[in-house]
Amino acid sequence: MSDLRFGYGTNGFANHRLDDALAVIADLGYTGVALTLDHDHLDPFADDVVEQTRRVRARLDELGLGVVVETGARYLLDPWHKHQPTLVSADPARRIDFLRRATRIAEDLGAECVSFWSGVTPSGVDDETAWARMRDGVAAVLETSRVRLALEPEPGHFVQHLEQALRLRTELGSPELLGITLDVGHCVAVEPVDAAECVRRAGELLFNVQLDDMLPGVHEHLEFGEGRLDLAGTLAALAEVGYPGLAAVELPRHSHAAPDVARRSITALRAADWLADAERAVRTDPARIRTLFPATGRKAGRSPLDADGLVHGTTDDHARARLLAALSIGLSGGELAKEVAELYRYGDGAERRGVLRGLHLLPVDGEVVDTGLRLVEDALRANDTGLVAAALGPFAARHLDAHTWRHGVLKCLFTGVPVGAVSGLAERADAELARMVTDYAAEREAAGRDVPQDAYLVLQEAGQ
Amino acid sequence: MRIFDPHIHMTSRTTDDYEQMYAAGVRALVEPAFWLGQPRTSVGSFTDYFDGLIGWERFRAAQFGIRHHCTIALNPKEANDPRCAEVLEVLPRYLAKDGVVAVGEVGYDSMTEAEEKAFAQQLTLAIEHELPVLVHTPHRDKLAGTKRTLDVVRESGIAPELVVVDHLNELTVGLVADAGCWMGFSIYPDTKMDEHRMVTILKEHGTQRVLVNSAADWGRSDPLKTLRTGEAMLAAGYTESDVDTVLWGNPVEFYGQSGKLMLDPLESAQPGGETFEGNSVLRGART
Repeated sequence: MSDLRFGYGTNGFANHRLDDALAVIADLGYTGVALTLDHDHLDPFADDVVEQTRRVRARLDELGLGVVVETGARYLLDPWHKHQPTLVSADPARRIDFLRRATRIAEDLGAECVSFWSGVTPSGVDDETAWARMRDGVAAVLETSRVRLALEPEPGHFVQHLEQALRLRTELGSPELLGITLDVGHCVAVEPVDAAECVRRAGELLFNVQLDDMLPGVHEHLEFGEGRLDLAGTLAALAEVGYPGLAAVELPRHSHAAPDVARRSITALRAADWLADAERAVRTDPARIRTLFPATGRKAGRSPLDADGLVHGTTDDHARARLLAALSIGLSGGELAKEVAELYRYGDGAERRGVLRGLHLLPVDGEVVDTGLRLVEDALRANDTGLVAAALGPFAARHLDAHTWRHGVLKCLFTGVPVGAVSGLAERADAELARMVTDYAAEREAAGRDVPQDAYLVLQEAGQ
Repeated sequence: MRIFDPHIHMTSRTTDDYEQMYAAGVRALVEPAFWLGQPRTSVGSFTDYFDGLIGWERFRAAQFGIRHHCTIALNPKEANDPRCAEVLEVLPRYLAKDGVVAVGEVGYDSMTEAEEKAFAQQLTLAIEHELPVLVHTPHRDKLAGTKRTLDVVRESGIAPELVVVDHLNELTVGLVADAGCWMGFSIYPDTKMDEHRMVTILKEHGTQRVLVNSAADWGRSDPLKTLRTGEAMLAAGYTESDVDTVLWGNPVEFYGQSGKLMLDPLESAQPGGETFEGNSVLRGART
């Protein structure tokens, strides 16, 4: 495993008392929290805030939790208007006062940084004005702060891209105490490059990381696996730049099921962290794949990605395919072909599936392709539907001879593998396949048996 | 009575045995890799066998409601054949697999140099893979063999609590107890050790660090000897809880050190139409 430290955002535990939230988060194995100061979670405007802060610090120490302070509470400053006022408001005084309080609390907590965002540009305010307000506001907070401040690009806000945040920092004279909060889900939603690349671009200016999944163009915080984030690739990038801070799950709309969501999240993080680590190991020492491949199901999970995992495979299938891709970085030609063949030979059913589902990620090299074809042919002889389905992926679509490929498709119909598992069906289905399937359907009908719907689907793809 | 048989060679047994074992309370077992009753002549014969232990046999046991785990190793007897010793190179692949909960059976058979080399090498593998070790003690010259076994274990540097020394009797148990290793006893119908002698040993040495197994294989043996030992313990005044410690808690504690036990209960002990790689344990009844 990497040295990354995983935390959880208390804004995802809004329905818990802070003490309870911290205990659940620690019990699940997180080693830090992103603490959102809010009306019922260490209210910075409370009369006894100093005393409260002291108690929270003791609690964090007792539970062994690191902490960053988050300032995204919705109605803390204005009970009528969410997030108002902001640094780009006409009168940002209350925001600046709040951020200054936050830095004092962070100092008393021993927090690693205070994270903040710009806010949405008010209507009628041009970019130049907003930029000036932002610059002045950040400067004002920096002036009194003794802790690090981390600006978070937030979709829809005035500062919504990493590049803007970095530019603002430069304009302010690159103050040491100012860095970046990166929400990796935001990268999926609005950044021009992926989260891993954003991590590399932010580099040592990365003070704080928030973890969640997202779909491109949609600012909605999702659990891992529900969006398009390459979690393992992102964690690998964090490890690669030597990110020393907390990486905390940010799911503020999941408080209703917080303990379950937090449990699933740490499982996903550990799995992705394992995979990132395994990929690194295989790239530097290819022989490591021999013992990492069998361990993949235990470490990275085995859930099917559709009803029975026949069409899209399983979590471990995809993890193993990535290990295979990592293998082709260190090995090539005959050596690569031999290693792949042995993974299949010594593999159990799941490992064999993983090899088959990763073949198209290997370089198109004579020996490697020959080996791949041999493995696909072996799998198509098996009775294991998982192997048959995995064999007919993109590699077979590209390289398998027409005769064997057609018989593979027919075997799917025979054994109940959905033809959705067959890659390139529309491109490769031909008149001969149509004839075979028509004969098969006729035979079923003559015997008074049902013809599977998928048979008609194949005929349709073949233009019949 | 809840039973975990920590050493039984199910590949050699019938489905009747599985049914009787389930009825007797067996819910989990460990099948150590060993020889075939006649010599293997190539590495391929080992790997096909290993594939069966982690594949078909695990499926077959599950069909009868029993969780099947295995240990993987080059056994002492075959360590003497250079054609077989090459299997050591592929062992790491198998030790990493699901349900492989120890390195074993390793140890001495005829106390040759080749045996000792394979033994020491496999203790190192166990340390590397963070797995417990199942050590077989020789049938001939047992006392001297056990002493030498414990020397090799000590020299390897492996933690004694990760080692079970098996097939012990009244003469060898003390050595193993003193070494801090787990004590394994194979209860057979005629030879080696029976359930009544076992109870006497328990009275002397206590129930901690003791594993009781049937070691049933293709020879004359009885897969219900674990149950018989439990019954003999009760007859001798032990409590249900003592029996549970010996027949369930201890094996779970020992093999649990692998982090790879799979003990969630199975849904059914009646084979249905399930298949392993497309094949079923049913005959004729499949639709």
